[in-house]
Amino acid sequence: MEQQLARGPMDLPFLMLVVLLTGIGVLMVFSASYATAVGEGRDATYYFIKQAQFAAMGFVLMYIASKVNYQWYRWASVLVLGLAFVMLILVLIPGFHTVRTDGVKRWLKMPVIHAFQPSEMAKLGVILYFAARMSKRNTEKKRRYDTQKPSGVIFQALEDSGFMELVPYGMILLAIIVLMYFEPHMSGTILILIPAAAILFTGGVKLRWFALGGSLVVGLLAIIITTTDYMTARINLWQDPWAYPRDGGYQIIQSLYAIGSGGLFGVGFGKGRQKLGFLPEAENDFIFSIACEELGLIGAGLILILFVLLILRGYWIALHARDRFGSLLVVGITTLMAVQVFLNISVVTNFLPTTGVSLPFFSYGGTALMIQLIEMGIVLGVSRQIPAPKQG
Amino acid sequence: MEGGNRGNDKDKVRHVSPDRKANRTILLRTLLLLVMFGILTFIPLFGKLYAIQIRDHEMYQEKAIGQQTMDNAVSANRGQILDSNGKVLAMSATVYDVILSPNDFRKLQNNWDERYGKKPEGAKYPRPEVGDVSAGLAEILGLDPQKVQERMEKNTYYEVAATRIETEVADDLRQYITDKHLSNSVLLVPTTKRYYPYSSLAAQVIGWVNWKNDNKGAYGMEALYEEDLAGKTGRVVTAKDGDGKEMKYSFQDYYDASDGNTLHLTVDATIQYYCERVLEKGIEMFDVQNGGFVIAMDPKTGAIKAWANSPNYDLNTPWTITDPVLSEYLETVKNDPTAIESAYNEALGQAQNRQWRNKAMNDSYEPGSTFKSMVLAAALEEGVVNENSTFYCPGYYVVGNDSISCSQKAPGHGSQNLAKAVANSCNPAFMMIGQALGAEKFYNYLEDFGFLEKTGIDMQGEGNSIVWPRSTFVAPSTQQNTYLATASFGQGFQATPIQLITAASAVINGGHLMKPYVMESITAPDGTIIQQTEPTEVRQVISEETSARCRTILEGVVNGGTGKRAYVPGYRIGGKTGSSETVESRRGEDRTIVSFLGFAPADDPQIVVLLAYDAPKRSSSGSKLTSRGYYISGGNMAAVMAGELLSDILGDMGVEKVYTEAERAKIDMVVPNVVDQTAQIGQEAIQNSGFSVRTVGEGNVVTDQIPAGGAVIPSGSQVVLYLGEEKPADLVDVPDVRGKTAAQAQEILGQYGLYLKVSGSSSYMSSDAVVASQTIWVGTSVERGTVVECIFSDNTMVD
Repeated sequence: MEQQLARGPMDLPFLMLVVLLTGIGVLMVFSASYATAVGEGRDATYYFIKQAQFAAMGFVLMYIASKVNYQWYRWASVLVLGLAFVMLILVLIPGFHTVRTDGVKRWLKMPVIHAFQPSEMAKLGVILYFAARMSKRNTEKKRRYDTQKPSGVIFQALEDSGFMELVPYGMILLAIIVLMYFEPHMSGTILILIPAAAILFTGGVKLRWFALGGSLVVGLLAIIITTTDYMTARINLWQDPWAYPRDGGYQIIQSLYAIGSGGLFGVGFGKGRQKLGFLPEAENDFIFSIACEELGLIGAGLILILFVLLILRGYWIALHARDRFGSLLVVGITTLMAVQVFLNISVVTNFLPTTGVSLPFFSYGGTALMIQLIEMGIVLGVSRQIPAPKQG
Repeated sequence: MEGGNRGNDKDKVRHVSPDRKANRTILLRTLLLLVMFGILTFIPLFGKLYAIQIRDHEMYQEKAIGQQTMDNAVSANRGQILDSNGKVLAMSATVYDVILSPNDFRKLQNNWDERYGKKPEGAKYPRPEVGDVSAGLAEILGLDPQKVQERMEKNTYYEVAATRIETEVADDLRQYITDKHLSNSVLLVPTTKRYYPYSSLAAQVIGWVNWKNDNKGAYGMEALYEEDLAGKTGRVVTAKDGDGKEMKYSFQDYYDASDGNTLHLTVDATIQYYCERVLEKGIEMFDVQNGGFVIAMDPKTGAIKAWANSPNYDLNTPWTITDPVLSEYLETVKNDPTAIESAYNEALGQAQNRQWRNKAMNDSYEPGSTFKSMVLAAALEEGVVNENSTFYCPGYYVVGNDSISCSQKAPGHGSQNLAKAVANSCNPAFMMIGQALGAEKFYNYLEDFGFLEKTGIDMQGEGNSIVWPRSTFVAPSTQQNTYLATASFGQGFQATPIQLITAASAVINGGHLMKPYVMESITAPDGTIIQQTEPTEVRQVISEETSARCRTILEGVVNGGTGKRAYVPGYRIGGKTGSSETVESRRGEDRTIVSFLGFAPADDPQIVVLLAYDAPKRSSSGSKLTSRGYYISGGNMAAVMAGELLSDILGDMGVEKVYTEAERAKIDMVVPNVVDQTAQIGQEAIQNSGFSVRTVGEGNVVTDQIPAGGAVIPSGSQVVLYLGEEKPADLVDVPDVRGKTAAQAQEILGQYGLYLKVSGSSSYMSSDAVVASQTIWVGTSVERGTVVECIFSDNTMVD
């Protein structure tokens, strides 16, 4: 029966949305990157062809992932998470990470694909592991503590309040936060924390912990923002980028120029001028600005709507998943997707302060695209096991 | 969702309820996430996109385009300025600014180092070095190599090395740039330069283009018709990338520059030249201190034919002082050891301003007796006087408590008719005429002749006249009578020269006050006429008939009156002299403005000129003579020059000389050579040339003649033809004809078989001119038929 279910049809709307977004994304990479490529003395289609190749590879991987019986991930999640930890530690060791002038250690040197972000692996690992662990929540025996001992009373109280079950999750996240703090990689950390929280939330963890965690995070952020110059500067920059046209404000100003000059209909695909050396990372984090410039509010809105549909369909799959693990897995992946899209577009439109979040399916970057497509494959794999509606 | 956990069957039953609850939690919370992440978070994003892309679209687009495009001006060719015959008075040509980019130069060096640094011997060209290139550039541009090198060592992309270099230099420089592989580190930026082929000709009319101020017209026509001449600057909008590099192929918009229109002036370069020549000549001759002006106008249309001002300057170098008087003044300031540097600069500025301004329009002066033309016209028109009126001048005239003297002191001009009074420029007569008119009517004519308003000529900075208000002028009191009295001979108020000549034109052209103009037409580069000035009549001031009577009377001024020195045989010239008192002269300072208002031909005026010299320097305080002995008056100075000028102008205009019988007898003609002709043909040829013939001998062939062919003698003289008879070979002694008039001299010389040749004053016809000296000494033995040149002079004082 499981085999039969695993061979069910993929969720076609979701698949189509993924293919559509990837296709548009790769084309946008072409438009946004040719000037950079020419500027670097490469062929105009250099980045486009690479991205297209990655997309092709990504589709293969997605297909494979969708074919895998996702129940298999329950135990594989431990491996993925373990591998993620190994990578997160390795990346901090000199010699393993790529050398950058700014001293940031986010990429592992890799054969073939040159560089790989351990945080990508950590995202997947956390989602898989948390979903797997959360799905067993109801079946886990509640621990009993010796209430005769004072410590037992405390533990029992913590157990009853639901704190004890959070400890392993918390430990994992804390470890990741600490490791990534040394990279440093704040946006990556956020992208791990929010889907993880979404899984815990969906899984039934008591709301009080989210209230507590939420207020803790807000408090911490407030302290960080007010006490560290770096963050204060970022906030100031966010509020008035024109006051800092040279230091950091430049990119966001250029992004706004790009988006703003697009207007309703855009200047036309490929005809954007902001990518010609004005907007840094036009083919990367700020590719959506180029889409806005070239395709206008209509085109950009369409892309946004496709993302919204993808996210809605993702949650729909979660709602209809065959089992709790499938639900939580898809919730995690969909939330990750949603948060990435939200953060990226918030940043390029200066709705939120700048953080380095790329736009799924659009931003140039092979490994990220492939991992995203694998994640989509996992969602599709879950969708294959959705019980068919009863006939008649 | 089937609460499915495999391999835990025994718990299944027990945990159904909590499991269901958990499933519901998952369902609800997933829905919550769906709403939050799938919908709510996107709402502000759409809002933000709308705000940026629609609401603030234009602001962002403008800023984006501002940084994305390079806007290069393409200068339009400034239109030419042509004279009435199409001669080019002003034209533009391309010159170049030389821009250095030291940073690019260093990039060139780096490129060379990268390419050939390891193997310098394999280099295709030597490494560009600052010293070498600076020296090379300095040599081509004529600059100090040291200074060029300093500029080449700056940290900049833009350093102006030289401005406005000519095409030939630019060609050399271009070759040098190619040879030395300097490419974009030395740039030639084209710009335009204005050339004035006639240099100083009509400088104050044409004006000039100030390259220090964006090549905009400064002064004159260049400024007034700036918009027409300038054309429209074109633009090349090129896309550029973030590094500021042009991206020619990705995006380029070209807005054509449209060339300026051509300005056709009414000014005739030839007449202008005559005017300037006569002005300069007079200034030199009469020791004039404040320069002067000449305006020549077509009286029928108001078209300005020439307009000369002194001091003058070269339009090609407008900042340079070339006028001898101004230069001398500047030298004294410069050499004054007590003067500080700022004093020199101030003096220089003043001198520049003086040479740039068109004083014959910017400033006003008391017109003096030239104004009597208008008073005459008004009086004739109103019928208060006529040709039969007589005026008695005792040398002064009493107005109220004042006794105003005539230029001809007691016993004065005596009894004179109207024409004679005008010819004498008699002030008492004109005061009587003014009184006959009355202040009210007099003022009406001041107004009608345009002395209360600007003429409206199309030139910059026309000044205002300074005239009493009507209420003051017509009020019945002694003081006001004095106003009327002085106004009657052109003193006590000020008018601009252009007002005066415009009014004078109305007097002689049939009474039409015309609006003077300088712009004949404006044509587009393709030749189509865009704008054309039609002569505009402001009003008819006097009748045609009155005008004709004025012409006749004014002709009399030249024909024996104060203007007799303007007389030119063959041309009928009318006019009026003027010797204006000035505010300064009334203070006892040395400033009289001598002027002449002349027109010709008197019966049908084609040209009217107003010529004035400001302050001929008197030889000593109180003297009425200059150091060279010229009597300071319009008749003795301006009229002489006006005669010469009108003769030149009329000749250029192709007006035929028409001699009266009396004149014909006195003009110089060339004697034809008729030797070896038959007697009959010879006689006819001589007679046809305007000479009388006497034959000696009976032969049929002319064997000799006196004077010889080619001699220039007054027509009407007798030529002797010898028909076979021997020409008498005896010599005669040259008689003394000094102090004799032309007629007497001719008669005396004729008795000796000698001929008179007149030189000196052009007005030798007048009985006042006498022989001052003769070129062949008295008593010298000469052959019969010899031409004796006599220099006439006439220095009777005429005001």
